[in-house]
Amino acid sequence: MFPQFGATAESLSKASTAVFRIGTDAHLYDDPDDVNIAPLLESKFDSEKTEALKRLLALIAQGFDVSNFFPQVVKNVASQSLEVKKLVYLYLLHYAEKRPNEALLSINCFQKDLGDTNPLVRAWALRAMAGIRLHVIAPLVLVAVGKCARDPSVYVRKCAANALPKLHDLRMEEHTSAIEEIVGMLLNDNSPGVVGAAASAFASVCPNNFSLIGRNYKKLCEILPDVEEWGQIILIGILLRYVIASYGLVKESIMFSLYGKDDNLEVDEQDFILKEDTGYTSEKTLSELANMILQCYIEGPDEYLSRSSSANMVPPKLDVSQFTSCSNDIVKILLKCTSPLLWSNNSAVVLAAAGVHWIMASKGDLKRIVKPLLFLMRSSYASRYVVLCNIQVFVKAMPSLFAPHYEDFFVCSSDSYQIKALKLEILSSVAVESSVSFILKEFQDYIRDPDRKFAADTVAAIGLCAQKLPKMATTCVEGLLTLIRQEYFCGEIRSMDGEDGVLIQAIISIKSIIKLDPPSYEKVIIQLVRSLDAIKIPSARAMIIWLVGEYCSLGEIIPRMVSTVLKYLARCFTSEALETKLQILNTTAKVLICNTGEDISTLQKVWSYVIELAECDMNYDVRDRSRFLKKLFSCNVDSQNHVEEQNSESQKRDQSYVFAECIFGRQTTAVTVPTEPINDRFYLPGSLSQLVFHAAPGYEPLPKPCSLPYIDFDQNDGTANSDSDEDGDPSTSGSVDEGSASDYSSEQSVTASSEADGSDEIDSGNEGNNNVDPLIQISDTGNVSEEQNGGVHSRFGDLMSTKSLESWLDEPAKSSKENETNQSRARRSSARITIGNIRSRIKPKYYTLLDPANGNGLKVNYSFSTETSSVSSHLVSLEVFFENCSSEAMSDIVLIDESSNRSSDPSTNQTPSTTENTMKIHTENPAMVSMEDIPSLEPGQTENRTLLVRFHHHLLPLKLALFCNDTKFPVKLKPDIGYFVKPLPISIEAFRDKESHLPGMFEYIRSCTFTDHLVELNKGSNSLTEDKFLVICEALALKMMSNANLSLVSVDMPVASNLDDASGLCLRFSSEILSNSMPCLITVTVEGKCSDPLTVSVKVNCEETVFGLNFLNRVVNFLAEPSVTRS
Amino acid sequence: MLQCIFLLSNSGEVILEKQLTGHRVDRSICSWFWDQSISQAHSFGQLPVIASPTHYLFQVFREGITFLACTQVEMPPLMAIEFLCRVADVLNDYLGGLNEDLIKDNFVIVYELLDEMIDNGFPLTTEPNILQEMIAPPNIVSKVLSVVTGTSSNVSDTLPGASASGVPWRTADPKYAQNEVYIDLAEEMDATINRDGALMKCEVYGQVKVNSHISGLPDMTLSFTNPSILDQVRFHPCVRFRQWESHQILSFVPPDGQFKLMSYRVRKLKSTPLYVKPQLTSNGGTCRLNVMVGSRNNHGKTIDLVTVQFQLPSCILSADLTSNHGTVNILADKTCNWNIGRIPKDKAPSMSGTLVLETGLERLHTFPTFRVGFKMMGVALSGLKIDKLDLKTVPYRFFKGFRAVSRAGEFEVRS
Repeated sequence: MFPQFGATAESLSKASTAVFRIGTDAHLYDDPDDVNIAPLLESKFDSEKTEALKRLLALIAQGFDVSNFFPQVVKNVASQSLEVKKLVYLYLLHYAEKRPNEALLSINCFQKDLGDTNPLVRAWALRAMAGIRLHVIAPLVLVAVGKCARDPSVYVRKCAANALPKLHDLRMEEHTSAIEEIVGMLLNDNSPGVVGAAASAFASVCPNNFSLIGRNYKKLCEILPDVEEWGQIILIGILLRYVIASYGLVKESIMFSLYGKDDNLEVDEQDFILKEDTGYTSEKTLSELANMILQCYIEGPDEYLSRSSSANMVPPKLDVSQFTSCSNDIVKILLKCTSPLLWSNNSAVVLAAAGVHWIMASKGDLKRIVKPLLFLMRSSYASRYVVLCNIQVFVKAMPSLFAPHYEDFFVCSSDSYQIKALKLEILSSVAVESSVSFILKEFQDYIRDPDRKFAADTVAAIGLCAQKLPKMATTCVEGLLTLIRQEYFCGEIRSMDGEDGVLIQAIISIKSIIKLDPPSYEKVIIQLVRSLDAIKIPSARAMIIWLVGEYCSLGEIIPRMVSTVLKYLARCFTSEALETKLQILNTTAKVLICNTGEDISTLQKVWSYVIELAECDMNYDVRDRSRFLKKLFSCNVDSQNHVEEQNSESQKRDQSYVFAECIFGRQTTAVTVPTEPINDRFYLPGSLSQLVFHAAPGYEPLPKPCSLPYIDFDQNDGTANSDSDEDGDPSTSGSVDEGSASDYSSEQSVTASSEADGSDEIDSGNEGNNNVDPLIQISDTGNVSEEQNGGVHSRFGDLMSTKSLESWLDEPAKSSKENETNQSRARRSSARITIGNIRSRIKPKYYTLLDPANGNGLKVNYSFSTETSSVSSHLVSLEVFFENCSSEAMSDIVLIDESSNRSSDPSTNQTPSTTENTMKIHTENPAMVSMEDIPSLEPGQTENRTLLVRFHHHLLPLKLALFCNDTKFPVKLKPDIGYFVKPLPISIEAFRDKESHLPGMFEYIRSCTFTDHLVELNKGSNSLTEDKFLVICEALALKMMSNANLSLVSVDMPVASNLDDASGLCLRFSSEILSNSMPCLITVTVEGKCSDPLTVSVKVNCEETVFGLNFLNRVVNFLAEPSVTRS
Repeated sequence: MLQCIFLLSNSGEVILEKQLTGHRVDRSICSWFWDQSISQAHSFGQLPVIASPTHYLFQVFREGITFLACTQVEMPPLMAIEFLCRVADVLNDYLGGLNEDLIKDNFVIVYELLDEMIDNGFPLTTEPNILQEMIAPPNIVSKVLSVVTGTSSNVSDTLPGASASGVPWRTADPKYAQNEVYIDLAEEMDATINRDGALMKCEVYGQVKVNSHISGLPDMTLSFTNPSILDQVRFHPCVRFRQWESHQILSFVPPDGQFKLMSYRVRKLKSTPLYVKPQLTSNGGTCRLNVMVGSRNNHGKTIDLVTVQFQLPSCILSADLTSNHGTVNILADKTCNWNIGRIPKDKAPSMSGTLVLETGLERLHTFPTFRVGFKMMGVALSGLKIDKLDLKTVPYRFFKGFRAVSRAGEFEVRS
């Protein structure tokens, strides 16, 4: 109506915000490039430079690429103004990797700043210098870090510690020891702030170099409460690992249950649990679950995989020598120093401290972690979720711990659905007799919650509680029945999504309670059957009908009402949903089998009626089921029809009756408490893997107890003594160490031998396992194809540590043995497998050189051969197939290079021409080593020749001339860059090593989609989940190897929670460029779902850039094109 | 270690990104995250830890801003979450609030802060007081100065003295004309009252907040008259654990300015300061709602800002609610707010009305939960009492003040 007023109001509000924003950098963010930035950067005023840099920063923040200003910005690094410096550093670090050459220009300035008197300037210079991550300046940075590590300022030393992981990221093998030395020095620093940063450097640089910790163990423990909170988190983990690696687990802790069950100490432990958990009926299974959780803590993903693949392998029990006592000083100090951290303000610190207690503390002391953990739930929403996830595992392993605190897990309406679900699960596992009535009362409130999904979960939880505490079962069932009655009154009218869920879940819960003790719930079944008419939801109906069939002969009343029920079901059969129809068929069959009573004729009438209806059903599943049942029961029904049955029992009738009996007659045995699926994995408390349910890259289980090499240990003692002189207590620490060392020296052999016959030796510290030799022997002799089917897996599965698997993959088994760098290599969360003799299945591709239509009936095909020429490494060998498709004989067929003159007669001697050609090669264009001619080719005859060709150019086809019957056919030979390489069999370590030398510009990545595996997957219907991965691996490897001359180095399988998710599958191939023997490494990483087209990213590392790129393009092309279906 | 931090606005737009390590994280991860959280809001949008195809994501949501951190390797998830919370707190302090515009307006400060707070994916300086010394918070003076002179630097020239001293949280040697310490007990009461009116859970979460302006290096001790009621405590790093363990006394060298000294929890309280009694009777397609609120005035203090909020069940078509005190609002998403304000002395506020159920539905079968809010000045509902505050090592006199305030936390009444 009054547009002008609206406009004024709007502009007014605009103006007011503008006033409010005056003096901020708002205008820079809103219009960062409304002025020309470049001249501002060149300005001599700091304020203008600042503005320009802020504008650049705004552009970065908004996601624009402003790296083109790099040279101008770098110049300003010399500015005296700290603000300009800071902004320049921010810009520099964002782009340094993109513009390495220009970044080098700033180095001098950094060097100068490192000598500045202001510690802030020194620290910033160091941070920026280390942050630009250039290989060339790494040695300079190392020197600078070394210098700053001795700086008087704590802040600078802290930054030096933080710079170490950056250096380590550059993977400078030659400097590793220097870096580790600095880490050791900083760990020994007197300032807690520095120690914290040093701990994080230790964790990322050399997490297994425990000698650095051993030297300072006591000091580190004592300084721990004063360390910065972030450092505490890391340091706690390091100390825990150190203690386990060098002293083993604690006898009094829960981890002791991993120790073999044949000791009388075990009795104590059982006593303990029983005393604590009175009221747990299923203590046995629970402690088994606990055992599994604990087992997972010290077991790496590789070990786990190899164990689970072999059926029912018993997890290796730990040796008693691998346990120490709580009274051990070392353990005592650790617990003493971590317990005040349970009061920390930082929830991550509390959880880390709780984790140490969980693993190391005696069971009596464990109570200490309960209240702090519960208090954490109040910190922030996000951490509440993480804490609950961890508590959930603790509760699973030891419900008694949290049982008195059940009230803390009561649900609030503000909780998110995930948190509600977690709380329900925890509540149902901590319920004991004393608390269950309160918990159930609480559950009653939840059922009325408007969030119906949550209400359905509550119903499921009630079922679980009832199964756990049978005393409550009757009450629960009654409650659930009331609920069902109430629900179907509502459900009748409305069809809200969640509503069905509650009803279905209620019936599922009742069903599972009935299973525990069917006879006492006869009335419940009857009630459910009565409500059948009111319940409309198909799956709920199907379940009740199942109950009828299952318990049709139970008790007194049910058998009598069964026939009526069946009549009712038969009547409404046509209007039922699919699953209900199927269930009606099954139930009728079951009743028929079980029934021996009087109303058999009624039943048979119902039976034939239902079968007849079903046979004409719209749905083929129903039709199939009915035909199957009809066939199965035909004799049964017939023979019962005739009264003179006993004698005339035919063989056939007998048989099918037995079948029917087997299928329908038997009652399903009562399942005890549903055990967790065995492939559930548990990870260390407080870890990321624990939350995402798979081992995240870099996840490490606890070190093997007492795995620290003892020789090292003695050396440590020596250094410890010399180092700890100023500590004043060299005698105590020294003597403890020595005492334990002498104790354990005899155990070394024991553990070693036990490793050899069962447990795996994928051990971080213990490299003394040269006893892998026999393993390699075994695995090499093992039939590879059989292994795929799991045949060998079950026998040798336990032996398949990473090492033996890797060596399996490499043709020369020695290579992995020679390689000792295994230790430093970061463990990945994937398993390595072999996909067997893939090479034998390669089918080379045929290309047409000349087709019969153009060649007067001569057909010439060629394929690239995987053999390499013995004559010269520059030559690519091809197989050429000649076939005479005409009706006349041909003669004098020869193939020559067009550029070379005709005069070189094919009939001349072979050798000179060959040498001649190879000589020429270096100067000339594509050349070809001449081929033996074919004097004559009869009709229908085929002849093949090997051709050695040198393609000078990777992409252009080679022009050749084919002579036949003195006619010249110009032909073109298309090069395939995939065969310009030859396989380079190397070990995985060597591969990684080479790969690390070819970073940055020598690395190219492209992605494409891959669909070949779908054909295979669709073919095999009984695809187990492991097989899917294998099929993909095979399809990929086959595709790669049949299109390029490569050698397969390794296959990494993801250990994903989602079995259909192939992401992370990684194949490595290696090859060597024919002409200059440069290695060319290919890594193929898969992403996506097994059953969908996969996204494959191909990475090529090759020193020869042009070749590498072309090669990559070729690989991507052939991977993307669908394969011709193989017969 | 963290690789990258993104700040996302309410609409999923990336406000800014900060790459932390050499392994750059592409922005596309944010759009992936946003798409996922929109499409699966129920199961995913609220998860704090997410495994995306390429990275693990941690998200912390604060007042419309999503703080998103990415990593590719194993790290303690709580460390990332706690750090993001800390970033949010620091930004909140600096900018005087948190919203998209404030962050955009001060993006340079945000960048500088992030750069100080985290180095190579590992937290560096997170103590707010120290950060304020390194990077000056934006204030009116600096704003005006920048307008007038055109120059302003918020980056300090010198390293804060604290980072060199043995007390990393305290500025080396502040000088004040007036020395004063204020101590606040801020408590939140969590209570659950089930539909029978029984108190299922009643506990208090409290914080001891200190605002200290003391010259020199003071050593304080704070003691409570009844420390035994504390069920669980958490401390600022400055508190000496040993003193607490042996004597239940808080002994500390305080940071300068505002900080949270400790937080505590008192469980199993017997009563709530006010009662809320909802009644729902449904019959024949309508539902009669009646809610009574009253104070159990045993503290002698007034109860302020009382609100009752609940979500009408989805099966309700329309609602007609009136109250004899305060205002009733029904929002579009069927949230009902009853704003009572201060509870009057002469009458008990009540709200009543009828709800019309969906056609065909006879009775109500899902029941709303009533969330209650209130505030009480001058009362610590837990009953915790500060005994005394002493200053050692500093000779001069100082002023000390104590306050207490209680408010409702998760105060729920089921019906």
